[in-house]
Amino acid sequence: MSQVFDKLLDARGLNCPMPLVNARKEIGKLEPGQVLKVVATDRGSVADFQGWAKVAKNVELVGQETESAEGASVYVHYVKRTA
Amino acid sequence: MAKRLNDEVWAAGDLLKRLERRDKFFVLDVRNRDECERFRIEGRSPVPAINVPYFEMLELGGKDEMVDSVVACVERELADQLPSDLPILAVCAKGDTSEFVAQGLRRLGYASANLKGGMKAWGEHYATRALIEGPDLAIHQVSRPARGCLSYIVASAGKAIVIDPLRHLQPYLELARERGLTIEAVIDTHGHADHISGGRSLAAETGAPYYLHPYDAIHPIDVLPATIPFEFIRDGQVFPVGRHELEALHIPGHTLGLVAFRLDDKYLFTGDSIFIRSIARPDLGGKAESWAPLHGRSLRRLLDLPGGIMVLPGHFSSLDEADETGRFAASLDDLKKRNDGLVVLQRESEEAFVRYLLESLPRFIPEYVDIKRVNAGLLTPAEEDAATLELGKNVCALSQAYVTSEGVRQ
Repeated sequence: MSQVFDKLLDARGLNCPMPLVNARKEIGKLEPGQVLKVVATDRGSVADFQGWAKVAKNVELVGQETESAEGASVYVHYVKRTA
Repeated sequence: MAKRLNDEVWAAGDLLKRLERRDKFFVLDVRNRDECERFRIEGRSPVPAINVPYFEMLELGGKDEMVDSVVACVERELADQLPSDLPILAVCAKGDTSEFVAQGLRRLGYASANLKGGMKAWGEHYATRALIEGPDLAIHQVSRPARGCLSYIVASAGKAIVIDPLRHLQPYLELARERGLTIEAVIDTHGHADHISGGRSLAAETGAPYYLHPYDAIHPIDVLPATIPFEFIRDGQVFPVGRHELEALHIPGHTLGLVAFRLDDKYLFTGDSIFIRSIARPDLGGKAESWAPLHGRSLRRLLDLPGGIMVLPGHFSSLDEADETGRFAASLDDLKKRNDGLVVLQRESEEAFVRYLLESLPRFIPEYVDIKRVNAGLLTPAEEDAATLELGKNVCALSQAYVTSEGVRQ
């Protein structure tokens, strides 16, 4: 699945909680309906983005993928600003 | 308000010391709810705690930065749930996020510390204690306190046998190096379900043979043979270690290939049969009804051993099973009086004891099927997957072992 997105946030190499903290800031800058793609190497971010999307207002997790790059896993999250 | 702490970062070893001393403190756990459900900090007595995932703190606090959100969230939502007169330990998965939480709490005047390395470091912390240490014989108990796993190094005259080594080899290699010991054999009392054995890798690292009972070299649910190299253990086999020897006693029940080891009339390495508080469950191979009677007969065989023999178990279910020095050991006579399972075993008929076993089974842990596959060489997980498989305290005993003295199911 290749998801359409409006902005890319590179959070590779960042430890918890920074991928999510930075994604929250970026999503605040988007227009409703736009999608932020977050690329992270922190494995915990997969469950954290799911949990966050459930409690955050005006945010929907529209997709997650795991990619393998140079032997390391990269976790991709697509977050939509809904309002 | 409690006074600011002298130590605002607690390593896993500091946490263990505090739990063993029954220090009073409070835990603010900011992991996901399901992670927290599976693996919590447990002490000799219950540790008061609340769980608020950090992403909920971010939303409840509503600030851009983590520390600011923690401050706002605690002020608005958590102030009535946090004690002002106890140190608060901030806990997360790896120890980074909880550092922001501890900082936020301190900004509000709480005495707060961060658990360094988080629950990962706590889960992988090892403690080594000598049960006896003389020139003729030494027995070291190597534990993973957070998981309730126990293993042993038996040493005499410069030689050592390691029983049930856990996944990380450093504690065994380090002790062998410090004491100048040659590890001559590595033994698993059985095919473990709750943790990944360090047996094969320690054997490979030291060149020592790895021993397992052949019945446990078949995965009980897959019914597939292990792919790992191992030497057979048979009932009655003797393993010399320096000036002493270990005698194998085949005691099927928890697994079909479970073996206890007896060192003279003094020490009994029981593996997963007799623990301190309770006894092992017979259902982890998925065959509880046919294995439970075997378990009962094997336990009766152990009851006939000399009463003064010191039981050295493979697990504990709570830190309060340790003696005041933090060691998990008790005489067979003592356990006949106070071990839940042994009390019932001595009182009831064979049939009634089987019913007791089958009525005392804790929930089945699905990960245990995969862990047995890993230990048989049928599955090879990456390091992170291995850590996830092993997450949390073992559930190898009967359900009675997981109810605290206050009657709380852990």
